Amino acid sequence: MDVTLSINGTDHRLDLDPRVTVLDALRHHLGLTGTKKGCDHGQCGACTVLLNGRRVNSCLTLAVMHDGDEITTIESLGSPDALNPLQDAFVRNDGFQCGYCTPGQIMSATAMLQEAEDGWPSYISRSLETDPDLTDEEIAERMSGNLCRCSAYPRIRQAIAEVRDARGMAAE
Amino acid sequence: MSVAKPLPHDAAPLHVTGQARYVDDIPLPKGALHLAFGMSEEAHGRLLALDLEAVKTAPGVVAVLAAGDLPFANDVSPSPSPEPLLATDTVEYIGQPLFLVIAESHLAARRAARLGLAEIAPLPAILTIDDAIAADSRFEDGPRLYQKGDAARAIAEAERRLEGSLEIGGQEHFYLEGQAAVALPQEGGDMVVHSSTQHPTEIQHKVAEAIGRHMNSVRVEVRRMGGGFGGKESQGNALAVSCAIGARLTGLPCSMRYDRDDDMTITGKRHDFRIDYRVGFDGKGRIAGVEFVQFCRCGWSMDLSLPVADRAMLHADNAYDIPHMRVESHRLKTNTQSATAFRGFGGPQGMLGIERVLDHVAHSVGRDPAEVRTLNFYRDVAVRSAGSGKRFGGAHSPIRAEFETQTTHYGMPVEDFILNGMVERLRETSDYSSRKAAISKWNASNALLKKGISLTPVKFGISFTLTHLNQAGALVHVYQDSSIHLNHGGTEMGQGLFQKVAQVAASRFGVGPERVKITATDTGKVPNTSATAASSGSDLNGMAVQVACDAIRDRLAVFVAERAQADPGSVRFEDNEVHVGSERIPFEKVVLDAYQARVSLSSTGFYATPKVQWDRIKGQGRPFFYFAYGAAVSEVVIDTLTGEYRILRTDILHDCGTSLNPAIDIGQIEGGYVQGAGWLTTEELVWDDKGRLRTHAPSTYKIPACSDRPEVFNAALWDGANREETVYRSKAVGEPPLMLGISAFLALSDAVASCGSGYPALRAPATPEAVLAAVRRVQA
Amino acid sequence: MTEAYLRPDTLDEALAVLADGETRIAAGCTDLFAATARKILPGRTLDISRIPTLRGILHDDSGLTIGATTTWTDIATAELPPACRGLQLAAREVGGPQIQNRGTIAGNLCNASPAADGVPPLLTLDAQVVLRTKDGERSLPLDQFLTGPRRTAREAGEIVVAIRVPAEALEGAGHFLKLGARRHLVISIAMVAVRVSLVEGIVQQAAVAVGACGPVAVRLTQLEKALVGQPLDPHLVTDDLVAQALSPIDDVRADAPYRAHASAELVRRALAQVTA
Repeated sequence: MDVTLSINGTDHRLDLDPRVTVLDALRHHLGLTGTKKGCDHGQCGACTVLLNGRRVNSCLTLAVMHDGDEITTIESLGSPDALNPLQDAFVRNDGFQCGYCTPGQIMSATAMLQEAEDGWPSYISRSLETDPDLTDEEIAERMSGNLCRCSAYPRIRQAIAEVRDARGMAAE
Repeated sequence: MSVAKPLPHDAAPLHVTGQARYVDDIPLPKGALHLAFGMSEEAHGRLLALDLEAVKTAPGVVAVLAAGDLPFANDVSPSPSPEPLLATDTVEYIGQPLFLVIAESHLAARRAARLGLAEIAPLPAILTIDDAIAADSRFEDGPRLYQKGDAARAIAEAERRLEGSLEIGGQEHFYLEGQAAVALPQEGGDMVVHSSTQHPTEIQHKVAEAIGRHMNSVRVEVRRMGGGFGGKESQGNALAVSCAIGARLTGLPCSMRYDRDDDMTITGKRHDFRIDYRVGFDGKGRIAGVEFVQFCRCGWSMDLSLPVADRAMLHADNAYDIPHMRVESHRLKTNTQSATAFRGFGGPQGMLGIERVLDHVAHSVGRDPAEVRTLNFYRDVAVRSAGSGKRFGGAHSPIRAEFETQTTHYGMPVEDFILNGMVERLRETSDYSSRKAAISKWNASNALLKKGISLTPVKFGISFTLTHLNQAGALVHVYQDSSIHLNHGGTEMGQGLFQKVAQVAASRFGVGPERVKITATDTGKVPNTSATAASSGSDLNGMAVQVACDAIRDRLAVFVAERAQADPGSVRFEDNEVHVGSERIPFEKVVLDAYQARVSLSSTGFYATPKVQWDRIKGQGRPFFYFAYGAAVSEVVIDTLTGEYRILRTDILHDCGTSLNPAIDIGQIEGGYVQGAGWLTTEELVWDDKGRLRTHAPSTYKIPACSDRPEVFNAALWDGANREETVYRSKAVGEPPLMLGISAFLALSDAVASCGSGYPALRAPATPEAVLAAVRRVQA
Repeated sequence: MTEAYLRPDTLDEALAVLADGETRIAAGCTDLFAATARKILPGRTLDISRIPTLRGILHDDSGLTIGATTTWTDIATAELPPACRGLQLAAREVGGPQIQNRGTIAGNLCNASPAADGVPPLLTLDAQVVLRTKDGERSLPLDQFLTGPRRTAREAGEIVVAIRVPAEALEGAGHFLKLGARRHLVISIAMVAVRVSLVEGIVQQAAVAVGACGPVAVRLTQLEKALVGQPLDPHLVTDDLVAQALSPIDDVRADAPYRAHASAELVRRALAQVTA
């Protein structure tokens, strides 16, 4: 069936089987292979994209359900010659090894920093009532939807903490 | 010089922008087909009939092949023992490929594959170690035996004796990028294959056999893998071979990738072990003799199980000079996935065996296990090479004992031992003693939560134990614009090999690494490569690249020296310039001039590791060029009522020789530790009584997440050069750090031990359930 | 209608589709693929994610109404009374953040996993499941809605439109604890929710529910009776009182005695922490 997906600000008109996921639409129908297929079960986070600004697993949602939604993928951030601050921090801090989970980590971190700025609590936030501090522990907790089998976690956390600091989101 | 600099991975800007391509990201030509396997639902049985009618008529299906339909070899084995791609008359595990579906889409192939009907007459399934022992189901005729001295007598005569048994679970690789391959048919029946593999030459070899061609008709290319960890040393053969067969049959490009649950169901994992031990020791914990019986569950096919089990035997001493030792190894054949290479390759299991023994002995004599470990260490060996080490003579003349040979239980001299010094330093930097005391105090006043701490060493042998694999080739071109094209036989899976090797090349020419282009591993450029495995990637390929670069550099030196009437030996390559006499010529000018003077600017390089020779049947020789060392202190806290736990702090000191790239090495160390700790804590594989793997998805198989890493995590590099002549005196780093994770497991044991007087005898993995059971045991 | 995918904008349209024949309802989709074995989605799919009246939380004198397609993130970030704290804690434990942004409360209930995070806290809130057909509406207490593992009382043609919590069940404070080898992205091996109201230190209402320890999550009514009228004392929770109410299962995640023991311990801790 016909569906119009708005991806990184551009409308794409596609004729899709209703069972096609957003992930497969991106990878197979639009050639946007930056979003990776890790487990295809919503468990690893490698396929994370932003849907209307919020992070979701693109392997777990059908493309036809997102006619008119704004989908943002890794391809919309910086380019190799002009990295955005988060991408740059990942490079400088060695926030990966094999790199396969990296696009998902970066998309997830992009949304996570916004969520924290908006005052969303995490499970370990001490209070549901006051805005949480984005401590290193909070970063780790909030990034737990993205697995990295190389276990570059200390470096990933460090890269995100650097951007947190640069954005003035102080950790107490 | 660009070596020793902490530069990021070569493809870093591509990774963070999603532009780095993995096999499944390669755009396929129109009309490409997709493959899937139909799998056995029985663990063991006679395959009586396969009804594939419904598969053939399913939407989108182009062809369906069973074993009898294969044109040439039906074999994907990496060992001398055959391993069929598709089952013939017997099925040997649940998940074994029975037939191959070729269809217009991945989904169509997978859907159709589920429609096959296999008529299988069940045979008794041998699933567990006990089943296999009872049925005497094994590879090789009987157990292997490596020993020194007379362990039985030493144990019998010892002041004290202990015995025990340790169950060690397997481990799923869970490379984030699943297995994948693409085959592109070429003119004249040639084949180009892209594969997510650690071993391109093996893929080339197996594909050639399967399509009835010589190896020169097949070219395999590997740009990168999304993680390998050993799981892509042999397990990619089936996909690449299938794609090539499909491409040959249809004349169209064929692509195959396993979905996650298929990947976990079909492919092999780390070998699980049971290790029985007997040990004799004195009242201080000095060990007189040890006997190990290692039972290794190999699964249905031989795959790499023999060298894996050998390496487990070779690491049964770890860091300890044990006068009498006997290691017996049983390689058991079972109707489960064929266990395969996994970071450490048997070494971790063998090492955990002796670390358990040390822990048990220390508990028995009531001493700090760290002290009992040091008591049993090999001696540190002073650096002997002239000019680079300590001065001997005078008041500091070393005692005679330092020069007496100390050998392992397989007859290899231990000539580079440094753990006494390393552990002393680590004890200081980690504040071990005062934390140990603080934990005792804390435990005395806390009933619910108990803390534990453990310091464990790693001594890991570097080299392939199959000696002929210790070779590598490289191909280097310098173009007339002075850009450098670099190729070698190693593959990149995230370990940073390409970056390290590029730094070596840049250093040889005295130029910046940005001038060096790292290109995809390609069997057409460098032939007969060994797998990128056994931590050997940078040792072997770095040296081969150095040899190739030096050949070109020497030609350039002769060329400029001749022009300047200087000695070629005095020519230096530094700072993007060539220094000859008092002259400094830009590198690019030298290259262009040399080209115009008709000097060859291309070279191969070849390296074979010296000194190694090994008889795996006798268990005697020098299987390793050198040892890599490390030590870790882990502190944990357990909840004595639920068994839940956390790693509070980890301190690591690790030996990379003179690091080629400290940033990459630290990443390997941290990642290896977390992966090793995961293996021994949360990662539990469960098979049901029919032989079906129940943990075949990430929802049930739990690898560490971001919040599972230690709360405080300090990793540092030991500052000593490799005593052997490796590339820039560096040491291999891929596998050894995984075994630092043993400290987390034994810290849990320490915490459990504080709950009572019994020995915890924790099983691995120490899931919360296992920890709680152990707490109750020691309290009983 | 024969289309494979339908996305109405109103509830009435959706109910008309449902009345027309067998249809799978999709909202957050976070359990859809897991439940349907490898993406083979037969038949029609009815997407209710764009029906505005089904999403959101309404708090008034009669209690709390949570729309069916309200996401876990919506619940975690909403301002709710302390009695709902257990529900809000559970909301931040469902999968990872990516799952919480899509997964819906009614989807969690309709999927009827024995380990559904939302069920124990909703049981302690005496939640009612509101179902509608094109001909009318009915309400079922949650424990009657869940009839077994992966089974509910929802009939063909019905849509869960909301979860209602009566005003009386919004008294006191709630808490939620979950046990797992790794907390995130893991289906739990035991979880408990409690809600307790106190007057001058004496328990007036006590609600305790345990999930992932049997075919469906259950309220521990015997234990609740033992707590009411007493000062709040976690030591009143004995292993036996908890084990009696449960029929824990052996599976790949844990064996039954471990589950029963761990649940009792979690209940004690949840009660100790609920008023903290």
